[in-house]
Amino acid sequence: MIDDHPMIIEGYKNTLLGENQKEYQIKIDIASNCDDAYDRIVKSAEGTAYDMLFVDIKLPPSEDGRITSGEDLAKHAKELLPKAKIIILTMHREDHRIHNILKNINPAGFLIKSDLTSSELLLAFNNIVKGKAYYSATVNDHFRKMMTNKFSLDEKNLKILYHLSRGVKTKNLPNYVSLSLSAIEKRKNQIKEMFSIAKADDQKLLEEARKRGFI
Amino acid sequence: MRRFWFKYFFGISVLFLFVGCNDGDEVIEKKVIKSNLIESYIEEAKNRENTVKQRKDNLEKAYNIYSTLADDSYKVAKIHQISFGYYGLSDYDRYREMNEKALRLAKSLNDSLNMAKSYAYLGIFYRSTKIDIAYKNFYEAEKIYSSLNSENLDRKKIAYERGKVLIDLAQLLQRTKNYSESEKITINAIENFKLAEDDKFLSICYTNLGTLAKYMERYDEAVEYQLKAIEFDIGTERETLQRTISYNNVGTAYKSKKEYEKAKEYYNKALSYKEFLRKNPKRYARLLDNLGYVNFLSKDTADIPELFYEALKIRDSIKDTRGSIANHLHLAEYYRSVGNDSLAILNGWKSKNIALELKENEELLKSYEFLSEVSKDNKEALKYALAHIKLNDSIQNQERLSRDKFARIRFETDQIEEKNLKISKENEILIIAILGLTALFLLGYIIFRQQQSNKELLFAQTQQEANQEIYRLLLNQQIKLEEGRQLEQQRMSEELHDGVLGRLFGVRLSLDGINQRANDGFTEARNKYIEELKSIEKEIRLISHDLGTESLPSDVAYIDAVESLISDLCDVNKINFEFNNDENIDWEHIDDQKKVNLFRILQESLQNIFKHAQAESIKINFDYIEDKINLTILDDGIGFKSTKVKKGIGLKNITSRVSQMSGVVQFLSNTNAGTTVSVSVPV
Repeated sequence: MIDDHPMIIEGYKNTLLGENQKEYQIKIDIASNCDDAYDRIVKSAEGTAYDMLFVDIKLPPSEDGRITSGEDLAKHAKELLPKAKIIILTMHREDHRIHNILKNINPAGFLIKSDLTSSELLLAFNNIVKGKAYYSATVNDHFRKMMTNKFSLDEKNLKILYHLSRGVKTKNLPNYVSLSLSAIEKRKNQIKEMFSIAKADDQKLLEEARKRGFI
Repeated sequence: MRRFWFKYFFGISVLFLFVGCNDGDEVIEKKVIKSNLIESYIEEAKNRENTVKQRKDNLEKAYNIYSTLADDSYKVAKIHQISFGYYGLSDYDRYREMNEKALRLAKSLNDSLNMAKSYAYLGIFYRSTKIDIAYKNFYEAEKIYSSLNSENLDRKKIAYERGKVLIDLAQLLQRTKNYSESEKITINAIENFKLAEDDKFLSICYTNLGTLAKYMERYDEAVEYQLKAIEFDIGTERETLQRTISYNNVGTAYKSKKEYEKAKEYYNKALSYKEFLRKNPKRYARLLDNLGYVNFLSKDTADIPELFYEALKIRDSIKDTRGSIANHLHLAEYYRSVGNDSLAILNGWKSKNIALELKENEELLKSYEFLSEVSKDNKEALKYALAHIKLNDSIQNQERLSRDKFARIRFETDQIEEKNLKISKENEILIIAILGLTALFLLGYIIFRQQQSNKELLFAQTQQEANQEIYRLLLNQQIKLEEGRQLEQQRMSEELHDGVLGRLFGVRLSLDGINQRANDGFTEARNKYIEELKSIEKEIRLISHDLGTESLPSDVAYIDAVESLISDLCDVNKINFEFNNDENIDWEHIDDQKKVNLFRILQESLQNIFKHAQAESIKINFDYIEDKINLTILDDGIGFKSTKVKKGIGLKNITSRVSQMSGVVQFLSNTNAGTTVSVSVPV
């Protein structure tokens, strides 16, 4: 279990070590930062490999700066421990982040902390142990939305929509998305065309994006 | 210099003319009536049917009207005309008086042309009595004419007048036997008449030249000139007169050359104009006398002494005593040649006595000479010889004196001229000096003003720089404040999201886990609290989200400064406000100067509203339209009549600031309709 908040680890433990103790033999290692976690993953890859990894996204980065988040860590883990089931547990629920994580890691479990209850965590755990993936409702929602659209928006477009929805002005977008202002304008127009609301203003665009579940 | 003054006076008179015109046509009409009256009186005075007294009375009447005329060149011309009237009536003293008046008036008017004319007319008055005064007057006239070359005047007319004066001068010089000078001036006169394209006086000029040539013993030339003189009068009424004069003179020239036959031929030619000579007995007598004398000289005694006696008879009948002097002398010479001494002496005596009486010195001289030769008595002869010598001396003396006098007149006139020139030169220097000093003073003053305004400019510049500096500091402060706030918000947002929220989640999860296992009947209640925890998490996440959203861009600093100004002032004055800023305005890249100006304009306008408008709410907008920033400040106060209110310092400041940014400002207001100040400034 990788999380920088002991209280959260405590919560996981409390949930898993309750009744499951009867069915499974659960041995838990804890890491609270990227370095620690990486070391343990490397070690386990040499010895007894972990079956399951609980990875938080927001983590104190490694000292050499190579690993900055749970996302990076998960990527490494997939290489080092190909058989291990990775469960992402994060506080972030923004579409573009969910999208990113799904694309880069394709975890066995994807749980959004704010939705999570202990029964759901247990359900997810049991499913994953049995080889079934489990995503929390928010993530499933995201999937559903993506499926209903005949097209998908790439990460950059999603980011643009996301930041616009937060109230960031178009001209300030280059600070948030690594694109030039003109490129952003072009993309905005593309999105509008895809939504078949060309020439609509930003407010319309956001409404449509919300309706289609891109935000 | 004189021309300068002339122009000056001319300018003034033109000015007066314009002013005068305002008095209406009445004045002009009066003038016309008066001049018509003068004209008619003068005409009347010329009428030979009236008695001399009546004619003089008419002139007097003309003069009386004349004196009521305004002083101008026209008045001078009229007085000249009146003087001619008196000349025609042989009232020469009145003639002189009039011309002296004309001269004074012309002098006071600085009317050079009329001054010259007056001098010339006075010269005419004196030419037969006092040749030196005559000479002086003519000389003055000539001096003025020779210096007159203004384009305003008629050159031909001046040349004509000048020619007349030159003839007079030449004749005066001839009388003092200054022949070469006289000849020179006569030629000058001819040149002037040619310039004037007027032949009227050319015959006189050539006659004059011929006479001079004869005196200087250039007889062929004399003949040539005399004959040429006739050419100018051919076809005119003067032709016969000029022919008799010229032929007589030609005859005299040949006589002097001792070509008596030729002389006779020309005298006879002159005598052939019998009709004319009958009306001019004086000329006829002279021709007869001359012909007789030539006959006598050529020893052709056929018609003498009859010719002499015939001439003498005519002369006696018309009382031509002056002519009879020569006549008697001719007779005396004839009688001496035929040996009749007693008759010779008798005629010599008569000649001498008349000459003495008439002061005809030339003739008297000849008489003395003759008498001294013819006298038998040695004592008598000696007496005449001495008288002859004495008279000869005195004549020569007189001539020399006259010549000297003329020279002195010339000299003195020139000296006055020179003095005037000197004075005018001094005046010129004075004026130049004054002008120079004035220019210097002006220059100094301009430089002083320039420096002053430079200082002012410099001051304004430093003030502006200081203003900008203040603004920059203000802005920096604002930006720093903003940055600090943002940093803090970011920190709080992260803290809440990652720390507080994480821990809450952990707690909730733990509780939930425990709740799953424990079955003590309170599960439901605990579930409720767990849900509550969840909703707290949600709330915190929202707060964190809000805090983290939109790290405010730096250009917001300006708008923040503006907004805080507005809200501060409105709070103090307890007025509601609404402020809108068009997000399309890129404040970050707008000139600080403009930002300061807009800031100050806003400040000024708000102060006006608080002081005068009694408004309840204010609306302030920054709009971006077509590359222009439009600032609109609208209030719902009592307003003012746009046309009535004089611009105070506040409005003036706003206007000047806007024009500094090459923008446009508009104050729209009406009583009880609020006020709108709209400023439009190009980016």
